[in-house]
This record gives sequence, C-alpha cells and structure tokens, in this order.
Amino acid sequence: MAVRPILLYPDPILKQVAEEVETIDKSVVAVIQDLVDTMLDSGHSVGVAAPQIGELVRVVVVDVSKNKLGKDNNHGLLEMVNPEIIEKSGSKMMREGCMSIPDYTGNVTRAEHIVVEFTDRAGQLRVIEASGFESVAIQHELDHLDGMLFLDRVSSLKTDLYRRKGK
Amino acid sequence: MNHFALTIVGRDRPGIVSQVTGILFEQGCNIADSSCSILGGQFAMILILGHPEFTNRESFGEAFKPLEDSDLSVSLRVLKPGGEVRSDIDGDICMISVYGSDKPGIVYRVAQVLGEKNVNITDLNTKLVGSDERPVYVMVIEAVLPEEVEEEDVNGWLAPIRDDLQVDITVRTIPTVEL
Repeated sequence: MAVRPILLYPDPILKQVAEEVETIDKSVVAVIQDLVDTMLDSGHSVGVAAPQIGELVRVVVVDVSKNKLGKDNNHGLLEMVNPEIIEKSGSKMMREGCMSIPDYTGNVTRAEHIVVEFTDRAGQLRVIEASGFESVAIQHELDHLDGMLFLDRVSSLKTDLYRRKGK
Repeated sequence: MNHFALTIVGRDRPGIVSQVTGILFEQGCNIADSSCSILGGQFAMILILGHPEFTNRESFGEAFKPLEDSDLSVSLRVLKPGGEVRSDIDGDICMISVYGSDKPGIVYRVAQVLGEKNVNITDLNTKLVGSDERPVYVMVIEAVLPEEVEEEDVNGWLAPIRDDLQVDITVRTIPTVEL
C-alpha cells in the first residue's frame, strides 16, 4: 500500500513503548502492509518495527530469507502482531546497524535461539523457534516495540560503536 | 575548529574526571572522542578536543596547572587539520583472544604477525590475572581484516605462536548486519 519514511533518532516516538493490538482490523492490516512495503523498498533491510514508521503498535515484520546470513535458516516473511519471546538460550554477537540510527553500527550480544509467540495477519496464534541471524533480527525488531535501540545494548563505546563503512 | 589530543595519567582516586572536564568546560573545549580507563593503579584519560579559537599549547595558558599540582601528568598534542577524523577502514571486524601463562613476548609476537599482514589493530587490551603463583596473561584485540583475508587465514598465521608460547588463541569475525 505504501512505503513510509523511516523515523530517525532523536524522534521521541522511537523511545516510547508501543501499544498492544486488541483486534487485527483494517488499520492493523494497513500497518503490516506498509511495514512490508517499506522493508522491501529499502532493499537491504531484513526487518522493520511499527514505531519506526511512526505507528505505536506492537507489530513487526522480519524476513531474513534474502540475506546471505539468513538464507539457509529462516521462516520466510514473518508478520508478527503482539510478538513475545517466551524462551531464550545461547548467545551470539553481531555488529548491528539500524535504519533509525544511520551511519553507526555496534556490537550487540543477543540470544542465539528463541521461541517467539505472535499473532499473524490472519489472526492465527503462532509459535516459532528461530535461531542465528533470524533470532537476532527478531530480537532487534522487538526491542523497538519497547523503545529500546541497539545503543541501549552496547557495552563499550570504545570497542562497540563504529561509524559505518563508507560514510 | 582546531583539534588537540590530551593525555592525562595519575594515581587513581575519585574526582579526576570531574576535575579535568571542569577545566575543559571552563576553557570552552568540546570533547569529541575520548577513552578513560583504570590501568594498574593509574587512571588514564585520552581525549580528542576541539576548540573554536585555540591554536596551540599556549592558548591553554595555565589552565592545566591545577592538574599538575594534584600529581597528574598532562600532555597535549596539537593535531594537524583532519587529524581528528577516523579514516575509513574497510573490512570485517575480527576479535582475537590470546591467553596463557604469563611469559615475555605475547603481545609483540601477535602484533608482529598482524602488522606484517597489514591487519589494522583498532583496539587492544591486556590484563594480568590469575594468582601470584600462577599468573595468567590475557589479551583481547579487535582488528579489521583486509578485504582478501579470512578468519582461517588469521588462525593459520597465529598457529606457530600458539605452539611456541603455549598460549590459547581464538579468532572470530563479527558479521555486520543491517536491521
């Protein structure tokens, strides 16, 4: 339906906690579709959370299937409403970048395996087990629903925060 | 804006950062990049400063005298234009952990190999841990690998050091992801 602009920090919306979705009505479906359109339009993105397009609702989309780090281990396009991580294990460090904080990347350690429960676009409750890059991507997007940015998770600016290549 | 590198070292105690940054604030300095840490019993501060008017050491006048009077060593380096900008270093980020019984040459041998292979060290920390009877030396390096270099290559280059010095070495690249 529409590619939406990505809000950039210090937009205050990025630091707010998003609202639980009560029912998946037309407006929620519109948000899901806009997230998918926005993610595809950016080319390199593997996920977008609703607050990043200015919608304070608990909706994210993730798709790591087209990324070389995720292509062998993924659930395709995930449209997640009210997602909640119900189990975590292991740990994995990646250097994360975020469309809402251009130019910087930082080392973040997250759970290697997660079990996440969510409602899909059709209203079905789903539980999936994700690991590796897909697990990291889901956790990064879910953080946006609680007003958390990867900057909240880096432990050392000296070794963890770098200006992105070529910028 | 002119830039300076300021280094301050002295016996650790509470209040050093406050004393130093108070002076910098009064002088109208901007702190750009900085890294401050306790090393042994010393507190070491390294700061890249900007100032709209100051051009040299003399511009600061006697501003740092209170620091020297309280037993801190102060050194100021005037940067050439552009000296405050980090150059682009392309390539994968690689963490190298090296540890084992303390013995001479651990840092040098590893750094020598990386230098020869044109691997840029962007961060290096060492620490002596363990007990007095069995001291263990730990070093963690963050480096940027040149385009054509893989994690296995670094492992291969460091293998002889592993045997010679009886140290454990692990090499791991950190993938960069856009989310």
